[in-house]
Amino acid sequence: MSRKKPGEFQVVNHSVAREDGVAKVTGRAVYASDIRLEGMAYAKLLRSPFAHARILSIDASEALRQPGVIAVLHGNNLQGIDPYYGHAVKDHPLLAIGKVRFLGEPVAAVVAEDERSAYEALESVRVEYEELPGVLEVDAALADGAPLVHETSYAGGSFRGFDDPGSMKASNICQEVHLEWGDVAAAFAQAAQVVEGVYYFPMAYAYAMEAYVSIADYNDSGLTVYSSAQHPFIVRHDLAGVFGLFLNRVRVVVPFVGGGYGSKSYTKIEPLTAACSWKAKRPVKLQLSVAEAMLTTRNDDARVRIRTAVDREGRLVAREATIHLNTGAYAENSPLVARKAANRIVGPYRIPNVKVDCCAIYTNTVPASSFRGFGATQVTFPGESQMDELAEKLSCHPVEFRRKNLAARGESIHPGLRPLDADLAGDIAMVVQALETDKPLSKGHGRAVACSASDAGSDPVTSTIVHVYADGSVSVMTGSTELGQGSHTVLRQIAAEEMGVELQKVRVIGPDTAVTPFERSTGASRTTTLMGRAVLEACQEAIVQLRDMAAEILKTAPENLILERSGVAFQDRRLSWQDVLRTFFGLSDCSIIGRAYLRKVGDLALLPVFWEIGCTGVEIAVDAETGRICLERLVTVGDVGLAIHPAMVEGQDLGAATMGLGIGLYEELLYEGQQLLNGNLLDYRVPRFSDLAPKIDLLLVQNQDGRGPYGAKGGGEGSLNPIPACLANALYQATGVRLRRLPLTPERVWRALREQRNKGDNVGH
Amino acid sequence: MMLLRRFEIHQPTSVAEAVQMLAHFGEDASFYAGGTELLLAMKHDVLRYKHLIDVKVVSGLDSIELRDGILRIGATATHRSVERSPLIRSHLPVFVDMEQRVANVRVRNTGTLGGNLCFADPHSDPATLLLALGASVVAEGPRGRREIPMEDFITDAYETSLGTDEVLTGIQVPAATPQQRAAYVKFQVHERPMLGLALVLETSDNGESFRDARVAVGCVSPRALRSAEAESLLTGSRSAVEGNLLRAADALADSAELMDDPEGSAEYKRNLIQTFLRRAFQKAVGQP
Ligand SMILES: Cc1cc2nc3c(=O)[nH]c(=O)nc-3n(C[C@H](O)[C@H](O)[C@H](O)COP(=O)(O)OP(=O)(O)OC[C@H]3O[C@@H](n4cnc5c(N)ncnc54)[C@H](O)[C@@H]3O)c2cc1C
Repeated sequence: MSRKKPGEFQVVNHSVAREDGVAKVTGRAVYASDIRLEGMAYAKLLRSPFAHARILSIDASEALRQPGVIAVLHGNNLQGIDPYYGHAVKDHPLLAIGKVRFLGEPVAAVVAEDERSAYEALESVRVEYEELPGVLEVDAALADGAPLVHETSYAGGSFRGFDDPGSMKASNICQEVHLEWGDVAAAFAQAAQVVEGVYYFPMAYAYAMEAYVSIADYNDSGLTVYSSAQHPFIVRHDLAGVFGLFLNRVRVVVPFVGGGYGSKSYTKIEPLTAACSWKAKRPVKLQLSVAEAMLTTRNDDARVRIRTAVDREGRLVAREATIHLNTGAYAENSPLVARKAANRIVGPYRIPNVKVDCCAIYTNTVPASSFRGFGATQVTFPGESQMDELAEKLSCHPVEFRRKNLAARGESIHPGLRPLDADLAGDIAMVVQALETDKPLSKGHGRAVACSASDAGSDPVTSTIVHVYADGSVSVMTGSTELGQGSHTVLRQIAAEEMGVELQKVRVIGPDTAVTPFERSTGASRTTTLMGRAVLEACQEAIVQLRDMAAEILKTAPENLILERSGVAFQDRRLSWQDVLRTFFGLSDCSIIGRAYLRKVGDLALLPVFWEIGCTGVEIAVDAETGRICLERLVTVGDVGLAIHPAMVEGQDLGAATMGLGIGLYEELLYEGQQLLNGNLLDYRVPRFSDLAPKIDLLLVQNQDGRGPYGAKGGGEGSLNPIPACLANALYQATGVRLRRLPLTPERVWRALREQRNKGDNVGH
Repeated sequence: MMLLRRFEIHQPTSVAEAVQMLAHFGEDASFYAGGTELLLAMKHDVLRYKHLIDVKVVSGLDSIELRDGILRIGATATHRSVERSPLIRSHLPVFVDMEQRVANVRVRNTGTLGGNLCFADPHSDPATLLLALGASVVAEGPRGRREIPMEDFITDAYETSLGTDEVLTGIQVPAATPQQRAAYVKFQVHERPMLGLALVLETSDNGESFRDARVAVGCVSPRALRSAEAESLLTGSRSAVEGNLLRAADALADSAELMDDPEGSAEYKRNLIQTFLRRAFQKAVGQP
């Protein structure tokens, strides 16, 4: 069967109304914090005032006497459960046990009849600490004789590959990843030009409007948790481990999620909330504030020492990098971030000799984990900065230089991984055209183009069920989380397209691990590609059943039937799916089930599932007097194979680029000693509408070259990755100043400009 | 964290009753206007009160009037109502220009001018401009009503000379004369400005020369302040003043005793003062 092309689709490839749009704008959409269970109590957390301290004693007796207080949990009264969790390394106790490892770590939870009573009782929990020397930065953590964040090693979590913590007992190294091909030393020795530098990517917080919330109900039939979690099935696995329950006794339900950007991935407050319910014997709600969310997770800030070499013809010959990730107090997802950072530092280029050493390092700071684009954001900044630095050395236009080195479609950029499945040269050409790079620049303005390729999609295990009803309606059961990215709408479109029904007749039932089939996760830009494909295949499987039923009704062989948009034709007879079900079962309200699962076989055997492309361009204006950078122009490319919903792809690209703008110009979590200085939204500066460029082009590339439905592949993270490098490169073009540390704050830019002026003066004298 | 402890709200019907309530509850109580600062501080647990006395409900305390060449703005007038007041727009346009850029529209809709001044955050835009405009505030307490010049009102970061038993009832600003050339400029990247700078010049010859100058700088020191040295450098012929701008900026920066802090280094702040004094001058007198 030949594949439909843009223009031939009925529902897909159109920007239809969002499935959740009306509910969200009218405030009727249900988020986890809207859920009220009968008899629900509330938990509040007491947090550590120290970055590193031994807990000498905890006395909760007075707190227990406070009005409304039901239970107090702390590290000394968790007997009966396994309080450690972690999908990579099981190093994270749900409340500090024995010692605290970062300022803000939960030490005790008070459960009370209402939130305020729980909160007011917190100050009556008495905790005695003995402060320990801590390690707040990577260098301190790696120093000889450094205090250890963790003294013991831990078991691995549900993810394989991280269960050998190796030297952990003797050092603060959480995870090492090494990557090598070719002969780097020889290549550098023979290179025509080499650039080398150290780049610093800041500690940032993935701000989402909804902070973490979960509601747990532990009772005789098992554990039910409603949560803002991005990966309900991984949360289920972790919870099953903590409480020693079978998977079918743990039910994780995720209603709408108010944004994640990586911060909601993996297990966060669910084990603690569940432990509160287990202890209090009541359903318990735990809702964090944004300030508390900022003490819960962040990205891994990174220091990257990197050098890149070219030959005389301007071909990349080698890249060597040492990446140090500041992983904070617990591993969370940083082992995977380390692996991705190592993979992604190569970029979409053909580089014959590569050596990368990446190390995730424990420190006494807020634990780091996933952050939109993870790994790629940290390393695309240095990688793409160096592309411009090299281009200058070669007196070559940076775009030309990239073009010369971009891998073509089908070419391998990374031995052992899937060859590149995108046409980056085409993407870059579109950006260049939209950015009008041939037009002269105003004074103080700079332009830049940068790109990235991320091994995306994660482990391609997913499944779905589609119910086809005798009244013509269809339901999709999905374990993919609707985070605002629009996945429910996309899945609905695919089912409507395949079953030949109007969009309104399709309902999407979101994640409930007791009801919806297994989906590994909602991350790595995978949902449209993998869940979308599973929905398509489940519809097709239902259609096969319906065709067989129709054949029986029409007393002919199934092969004789002609498949139509929403039914079959045979000679002069036509049966809709509705007719088929009604006639076959003799009932008007019955239904059948179409199923599909995907796993790592066939065209999904080779990882990644797809390469997620980032290709962006910016024009900036620099105020030399204040050092302030303003974005004048933004161009993104959504190279998504096929845009199931074009407007949402554009929205994702704009959102991702705007996050890149935030980290590029403003966002950085600042520590003074052990204290986080700007852990709230008044002091932590996220981008605003007024920061958006006056001129924005959000371009789409639909080459149908993905392994998702109709050739689709994922998006949503790619346009973040190259933006910080675009900004730094454009700053260089505008002013001649090269900054290797983000964010490019006004003062940093001003200082660099002043230094440059001073140097110029000295030369003059 | 980010949760309010229990408290009671009291709604006085007059200024006198508000003052009585405060006397009655003492240290357990605070006035409460828009709550944009107060409730945030209470949510962060840096302030704790059992009683809040809601001055917003006192009728008439949000009026805006012009009498005897003085604009009289009630303490509970919101930023938004000031920004949209035709009276202020025609009699003190620089104040409207400043108010339009305070915070965001939600904060301006709720936050009051009185609350802004009484909270005495060093990053206040109005406090800086009012200082340069020669404004004063009006307080009422058990001992009656008194006027306090802006110079003496804010005494330090988050400190005012308001008595613990007094309420702020209004702000008085001289309306602009045709001889006035005024501008307020600021540099703002974060939620609060990093620098606010107000320049008020008097000219009797349509900008050829300036017979009087008042300049105030905010955000870079515990409270907004003026510099006599800077002001004298900004007086004289236009070309002389233009030539003095850098020195005047340095004088302002010196009097501010700039410090390195997470917002910026002292030298960067000095640079901002230099840059923005020039921009303020250009804005006030119009570019040639
Ligand atoms: C997000 C955000 C951004 C902001 N950005 C800016 C900015 O760019 N520029 C700027 O200048 N300001 C800014 N602000 C400050 C803002 O202007 C003030 O929050 C607001 O004006 C305070 O007024 P309020 O009525 O809410 O005061 P409240 O919070 O109600 O009160 C503040 C204090 O004043 C006292 N008080 C209030 N009224 C009286 C009275 N009549 N008599 C005696 N005491 C009184 C209260 O007891 C309390 O201590 C910002 C605030 C926020 C939250």
